[in-house]
Amino acid sequence: MSLLYPLVLSSALFGIGLYGVLARRNAVLMLLGVELMLNAVNLNLVAFDAWFADQLHTGQVLTLFTITLAAAEIGLGLAIVLALFRAVRTVDVDEVGR
Amino acid sequence: MIRRWSYVGLTAVLAIAVAIWAIPDLRERGWFAYAPDGGPSLTPPLPTLSPDLFLYPTSAQIVLLAVGIGLLVQIYSTAYLGHHPRYRSYALIIVLFLVAMIAVVGTTNLWTLLVGWEVMGVCSYLLIGHEWETAEARAGAAKAFLITRVADLGLVLAIIVIGETYGTYDLLGAAPFAGEGHHSTAIGLLVLVAVVGKSAQFPLHSWLPDAMPGPTPITALIHAATMVAAGVYLAARLFPFYADSTVVLTAMAVVAAITMLMGAVLALVQVDLKRALAWSTVSQLAFMVAAIAAGDPEAGTDHLISHGVFKALLFLGCGCLMHAVGSSALSAMGGLRRPMPVTFWTMTIGLAALAGVVPTVGFFTKDSVLHAIQHATAGDDGLAAGTAWALLAVALLTSLVTAAYATRLWLRAFFGAAAEGQDVHEAPHAMTGPLVVLAVATFALSIGQPFHLGMGVVSTLVAAAGVGIVVLAHRDGSALDWSPAPLAAELGLDRPFSRWIPAVVAPVSRLVVDLDRDAVDVYPRSSAGAAGLGSRALELVQSRNAQRYATIVAAGIVVLVVVGVVLT
Repeated sequence: MSLLYPLVLSSALFGIGLYGVLARRNAVLMLLGVELMLNAVNLNLVAFDAWFADQLHTGQVLTLFTITLAAAEIGLGLAIVLALFRAVRTVDVDEVGR
Repeated sequence: MIRRWSYVGLTAVLAIAVAIWAIPDLRERGWFAYAPDGGPSLTPPLPTLSPDLFLYPTSAQIVLLAVGIGLLVQIYSTAYLGHHPRYRSYALIIVLFLVAMIAVVGTTNLWTLLVGWEVMGVCSYLLIGHEWETAEARAGAAKAFLITRVADLGLVLAIIVIGETYGTYDLLGAAPFAGEGHHSTAIGLLVLVAVVGKSAQFPLHSWLPDAMPGPTPITALIHAATMVAAGVYLAARLFPFYADSTVVLTAMAVVAAITMLMGAVLALVQVDLKRALAWSTVSQLAFMVAAIAAGDPEAGTDHLISHGVFKALLFLGCGCLMHAVGSSALSAMGGLRRPMPVTFWTMTIGLAALAGVVPTVGFFTKDSVLHAIQHATAGDDGLAAGTAWALLAVALLTSLVTAAYATRLWLRAFFGAAAEGQDVHEAPHAMTGPLVVLAVATFALSIGQPFHLGMGVVSTLVAAAGVGIVVLAHRDGSALDWSPAPLAAELGLDRPFSRWIPAVVAPVSRLVVDLDRDAVDVYPRSSAGAAGLGSRALELVQSRNAQRYATIVAAGIVVLVVVGVVLT
């Protein structure tokens, strides 16, 4: 399989995630954008792992680490958003910043 | 008290140093005898400011007069002005003033002379404006500074012309070749402009009477030792450069004739003692200029020295009277001879010298001046005989008026009824001491003065007539107050200045303002506008919005990547 397809897909995912982080005002959706970017990276890792045909599959192993990290990160991020919501009754980052 | 005397000590050190330097040069009475010293080079060297100190007997006399009177003024000021909060700067500026005068008199380098000349202008500005809390003092100081500054242009140009003509800025180098018709009219007229401003001659005379808001010791200093003396000194010093120009000498004679009579008449009608003395200085300075115009600068400088002594005496005495009655108006005085005997007797001597009474020094030097003018009536050189005769007539008439106003001031201040409700005491010793010294000097300087019998008799008769008229008027019960309207307004001679100068200066300054606003200010204003625009553009970036910052960072990375890909 050509390397091109997963790379195009991951670029699209990364771009959507970046757009979410930069343009969205809702803190939860910004976190989702971060998740999308992480998963785009994961996809890259897996695709290159397959392309290199690495015996130790380091790319896939690293992907597992990243998924774990993403889970921890989203847990922490949502906790912050929840605390934020409790404090100011909104999750709109512009409102919060004001 | 000790601190105040330390300034006197400083002045005394200066005076002693000058005395050690100058007294050996007094050996012979003599005019500026220049000794030829090589030929003149044709191109002037670059202007330098080397001190080049050198004294002729005449300049030694003047320098001693300056520091002597400066020292007496400092002593006097400890009592007169010692409690003033700005006494310190006052006393130091006096020292600077004296140093500048020494530079003017003692140097042979014309540019150094110019520096001293200008420093004197600044010092007189500062000292006349010493009481700058009052509007009069500020106005008087500014007027003195502006008028003398304008006249100083004449000196600058004269120096340049001398340098271009004789190839040197050094008087010792240039003077031996003076009087060979080299631009003597131009040099003489430019010097005359400078002298007219500095020595308060018509038509630039009005700063001197208006400088009266200055402290009285300063008035004494300016009138006797430094400022106005420098003008006459310069005219005498540079005399060889224009001695052969009839135009210059005639112009000087005309200026002197107008000034001496005008000053004396205005002194006669003043209601203020200090102002009357100021006009008297204007008139007496014109006597000195007249002597120079008549071709005898030595008589002019002799009268300068004698006038310096007795006018310092009169002003310091006037300060004692002001100290006692609290005003310089003649109406506040009267009957002061009993409570203030020392001031009375010393001022009597001073006024006698002013009137030209034998045997005070004023008589002898005035006699020399009149004799010089009489000598010029032969019409041999310089002045035409007719001009000299007219000048002699005006000078004799002025002597008459001078004797009259001196008598009038004497009678008004010391005789008659005392102003009411006054408790007058003699001034402290620090103030009367200088008076006594100067009174003694008024007699002592008479020793060895030349004497011309014929002119002496004539001038004594004229002076006696002046005194007699006033005394008779006083006997008849006249209050001795004459002030017809045009004289009370001092002939309105300031009006041309106050009307024409604004008429010229106002449009020019308006043009300058417009140019400044519309042409010069374009650059700072446009750079300010550019900075404003730039900051507004940068302000867009500084949004306090983290997402926008992150967007910019992301866009920057994209740009870098694209550039990197395209370039590789």
